[in-house]
Amino acid sequence: MKSLGGLQTTASRPRRFSPWLFLLIPAAAAVPLIPYATEVSHFAVSMFMQAVTYAIAVLGMVVVLGYTGQINLAQAAFFGFGAYGVALGTVSYGLPFWVSLGMGIGVAAIAGGILGLTTLRLGGHYLAMITISFQQIFDLVAVNWIAFTHGPDGIAGIPRPSLFGHELADDRAYLLLCTLILYGLIALVWWLPQTRLGRAMRGVRENELAAEVTGVHTLRVKVTAFTLCAALGGTGGGLYAGGFAYISPDNFNFTRAVEFLSMLLLGGAQSPFGGVLGTTLLILLPEWLKEMPPSLQFIKDVYLAIYGLAVILIMVFMPEGLWGLLRNGWMKLRSPIPVDTSNIPQLDLDIAVTETTPLLKLEGLQKFFGGLRAVDGIDLEIGRGTVHALIGPNGSGKTTMLNVVNGIYKPTGGRIIIDGQDVSQKTPHERAGHGLGRTFQNIRLFAAMSALENVIVGAQRKNNPIEPGRAALRTRAMSALQFVGLAYKADTIVRSLPYGHQRLVEIARALAGHPKLLLLDEPAAGLNQTEKMELVELLRRLRSGHGLTIFLIDHDMGLVEKVSDRITVLNFGKKIAEGAPQEVLRHPEVIAAYLGVGPANGAA
Amino acid sequence: MRVSLFGALATAVTASLIGLSAIAADPIRIGLVSEITGPNAEAGGYTINGAKLAVEEINKKGGILGQQVELVVEDNQSTNPGTVLAISKLGGRKDIPAIIGPIRSTQTQAASPTIAKLGIPTMIGGTDPSLTRVNNRWLFRCRPNDLYSSRVIADFGVNSLKLKKWAVVHSTDAFGSGGSKALTDALMAYSVEPVLVQGYTNNSQDFTPVVLAIKKSGADIIGTYMTNSQDLGIFAKQLRQLGVNATWVGSASIVTDTAMKLAGEALYGTYGVADFNPDANDEAKAFSKMYRAKYKLEPDVYSSWAFDAMNVIATALNGAKDTKPENIRNGIVGLKNWKGVEGIYNFDEAGDGLRGYNIVKNDNGKVAFVKHINFEK
Amino acid sequence: METLANNFQVLFQGLALGSIYALVALGFVLIIRATNVVNFAQGDFAMLGAYMMVACLVGAGLPYWLSFVLALIGMGVFGILFNYGVYYPLRHRGFLPVIISTLGASIFLQNTVLAIFGAQPKRLDNVIQGGVQIGSVFLDSQYLVILAVTMVMVAFQYFLFEHTLVGKKLQATSQDKDMARLLGIPVALMIAITFIYSAALGGLAGVLVGPVLFVSIGMGSIIALKAFAATIIGGFGDVKGAIVGGIFIGVIESFAAYYISVPYKDAYAFMMLFLVLVFRPQGFFGEKVSEKA
Repeated sequence: MKSLGGLQTTASRPRRFSPWLFLLIPAAAAVPLIPYATEVSHFAVSMFMQAVTYAIAVLGMVVVLGYTGQINLAQAAFFGFGAYGVALGTVSYGLPFWVSLGMGIGVAAIAGGILGLTTLRLGGHYLAMITISFQQIFDLVAVNWIAFTHGPDGIAGIPRPSLFGHELADDRAYLLLCTLILYGLIALVWWLPQTRLGRAMRGVRENELAAEVTGVHTLRVKVTAFTLCAALGGTGGGLYAGGFAYISPDNFNFTRAVEFLSMLLLGGAQSPFGGVLGTTLLILLPEWLKEMPPSLQFIKDVYLAIYGLAVILIMVFMPEGLWGLLRNGWMKLRSPIPVDTSNIPQLDLDIAVTETTPLLKLEGLQKFFGGLRAVDGIDLEIGRGTVHALIGPNGSGKTTMLNVVNGIYKPTGGRIIIDGQDVSQKTPHERAGHGLGRTFQNIRLFAAMSALENVIVGAQRKNNPIEPGRAALRTRAMSALQFVGLAYKADTIVRSLPYGHQRLVEIARALAGHPKLLLLDEPAAGLNQTEKMELVELLRRLRSGHGLTIFLIDHDMGLVEKVSDRITVLNFGKKIAEGAPQEVLRHPEVIAAYLGVGPANGAA
Repeated sequence: MRVSLFGALATAVTASLIGLSAIAADPIRIGLVSEITGPNAEAGGYTINGAKLAVEEINKKGGILGQQVELVVEDNQSTNPGTVLAISKLGGRKDIPAIIGPIRSTQTQAASPTIAKLGIPTMIGGTDPSLTRVNNRWLFRCRPNDLYSSRVIADFGVNSLKLKKWAVVHSTDAFGSGGSKALTDALMAYSVEPVLVQGYTNNSQDFTPVVLAIKKSGADIIGTYMTNSQDLGIFAKQLRQLGVNATWVGSASIVTDTAMKLAGEALYGTYGVADFNPDANDEAKAFSKMYRAKYKLEPDVYSSWAFDAMNVIATALNGAKDTKPENIRNGIVGLKNWKGVEGIYNFDEAGDGLRGYNIVKNDNGKVAFVKHINFEK
Repeated sequence: METLANNFQVLFQGLALGSIYALVALGFVLIIRATNVVNFAQGDFAMLGAYMMVACLVGAGLPYWLSFVLALIGMGVFGILFNYGVYYPLRHRGFLPVIISTLGASIFLQNTVLAIFGAQPKRLDNVIQGGVQIGSVFLDSQYLVILAVTMVMVAFQYFLFEHTLVGKKLQATSQDKDMARLLGIPVALMIAITFIYSAALGGLAGVLVGPVLFVSIGMGSIIALKAFAATIIGGFGDVKGAIVGGIFIGVIESFAAYYISVPYKDAYAFMMLFLVLVFRPQGFFGEKVSEKA
């Protein structure tokens, strides 16, 4: 719920062919043909052209904000790159329209990618601010670099392109072309969430850390999202320049960027249809307000104030935008189709145990936070196919250690060797690609996505030994869900699942990636007795002859004793005991650490 | 069935006849694109006032082609895209023979292709010289362009005041940079090279660097093309505070009511060019009297140019006998020695009507008419 | 000698404008600390305060100090309205909806004021006429007042937060709302107080800067952007950082305009911001925070 900085998000559910499409497609196809059928004023055509080109830019915002959850207040600048590309290319350098458009989009995409790279270190408010700065600098350069951009005069006389030898001088023909491009891009953006990339984007939006740990190259996904967003902005801008034959910097300032954002939010950030709807409404809104009856004419003078007020009201009352409202209404009317749980193949978890070397080896591992030595020189070996538990009092450094093994923290010193490979300097997603799976103490799922989608993100990690293609991903994910007993809940949005089920989905997500080593951070936390029994049973199934190695933390000594082969005890970041469960749990120093008394007293 | 069909047909015919007669009794509608919202809404209000006053006068005298005149005002939100949309909206109505367009050069530039496509005679107030030189037959300028303002500033400074060390200060928008270039050229024509040409972006908060540069340059006269009255006010105050006492001749914005109110005594003693001055000629005196009576406000250039534009349209339409664009164009271009508030109009083929400016002085907060400088070409 | 004087003049202007950025930035920081969101309407608080001053002083013809007090009280009341209208309904929904809501508020405020007061900029007179002339350097009295008031406000804020109970409660609220709630601190009230204080602070900045920049609809926007840059350069959510950041930006842009180029003046603040964000994202005073798993 809190993801996307708190914007309400929805899952994209599996799509079925809807009878509505029979109505929608012909209607959509008819719209750009209206000017051919009946006389339409030049004004209406201009408005239409504006709506179409703006909508393309707003589609970019759907990708970056709606899907990936990254704020972008510089979309007007990307729109500007496209427009200036076309204008300067054709007018100043005499290049053909399409070449100029390509250049404009290219420059926009590169700028978008660079902006995306800054998300490496910055998110949230910082990103908002850095995009605003970028937007302002764009504006200042466009105004002041007169020799290149023609300054505030703008550029006039931008020609229309020709297509297959036809010059699109006729407004109607050009509009038709733009509309077709828009439709194509809507389809692209609509289809995107179903792809690997789209799922990864939504994963980043829902829980960036979890996405990274599950094997998503989050930085690359964000850069891609920004690049795509900027390219769409550039496309819209380039077509805009061709449509209006004149551009000037005030088309591409911060106000316009806020306008794009408002359009997106009004319509609904989660769907390309929402974006297009919002764009259309916000372009028409001022005109409607101006056409009010005389008694309401005062509105004309304050419509921008009303517009500002509307933005607040939308945020308060319609967080999913208009499209979200429509969608939710529609979803309520439909009865969910039960999930077909027959013919799900058994989950293949087998790891060939051919060597006797330890699977995980820690050498003098250290992690310091300033003066705090959270992990202080740990040596540890975990044998292949074993279950190894890590216990210790609160604050002893267990979760920190897991985070270091996982790559969330870079070690201060020491080495981490997984299956013979030193991964100490690798990122979490690289380690996931190396066969490292993980769950979290406070569950980190992609809350607005379905259980199946969550697990597919796990299955699509790099080097997962499954067949290529969508079908194999889905099968693998269904098998993983079946393994934890939740295949029948595959289409349920995880935030509406009970807590115990959410834990299981998280485990399934890790298993779908076919890990060599599974890190479980307090898997029993918050579970009731029955659920704990089920968990123990699940863990036993996991270790029975699959060759999977499990490294877990838990406070429930009963559970730890039942499932683990070996136990390591931490206190103040140092290892104080290690061995078979029976002996370790009776170790005086361990008892002392837990009871907080000196070893002498605890010896009995 | 047959009867009812017949009845329906008859009704339709009657309705269309009524419709026709309604059209015949319709007033002549003239479009006005102005700034109702956005940062320039202030000036937009003056423009509407001026145009409305002209419409009232025209209607009192019997209207255009025997019909009453009605003004159709369209907001351009003080932006370029807004202007394009406003123009195309007016054009789309089909019942508007002529438009009073924007006063700002960038807006005119933005709308120019649309106006050319629509083919509706459009009065413009933007003073960027290039506007009437882009092969658009439908633009008619009811103000002198900046070539003349800069020539007048240069002529007045060099010949009347005998000052040769010029600093040129301008905003970097289209108006400012265009004006600055024209002024530099005009000075060069008198073999005077400015000792400083300094730009700034609109809404600058501090002009200290500009003032210090002027100080350093040792200029004895400053020529300015500044867009915003806030900027002008801040610049004027800082100029005087930092002890620069050079003579100052500014473009029209220096003698606007707003700028004079904001800057107060910092602008005393400065000169400005003004295409409009209430005392410049008899027409201007009459207009000012009416304007004050109606609005209880001092008229300024935003209202005077729109007043003239409306009257030029009316005169041309009355001369043209119908509302065909080509005839209106001929009517406008045919105006010779037509006396308006802003001066004597002689439209050339390009669409420029005026070639002179008034030089006025800020005399302790009052605008005093100094002289009118007119060029033949 | 002349160069030295010029540099001093440029420095003075930079310090003075920087103080204004700092005052607005201070308002930003307080709201960030209390609510963890950025208020994009902070600049319009300044604009609104200045217009309230104009309404009282010029419109109603009240004496200066009475108008001044009324404008600040008016801004305080407005702060309450802003809190309940813009922030409160969205308080549980993370930062993005609130950012957008404040953007909406900014559009709303600017256009409402436009509808009421018209687009013509208004003039406000200096608190004290004239200024101080030192050789060829002129120190405008209003700028001196701005510098003095900024220093007083910084001292006041320090006193408020470090030496009063309300201040301690405000601090506790900004550090950990749940903990504050457990300790019996009325968190909602503390946040409301923050908005009141921050609105009044913004209003104060507007009233002070009005005589220098004139009172216009857009006066707050550019100040706010620089002030926001200042908060980030200084260290996100750091009071000291906001003040140093604001003054830093003021001085940098003043000198850069003098030595490099006037038209790009507004770009320098953003370039600095860009550099700081890339090379020291935590700002001058911010602490590096690492993400907790």
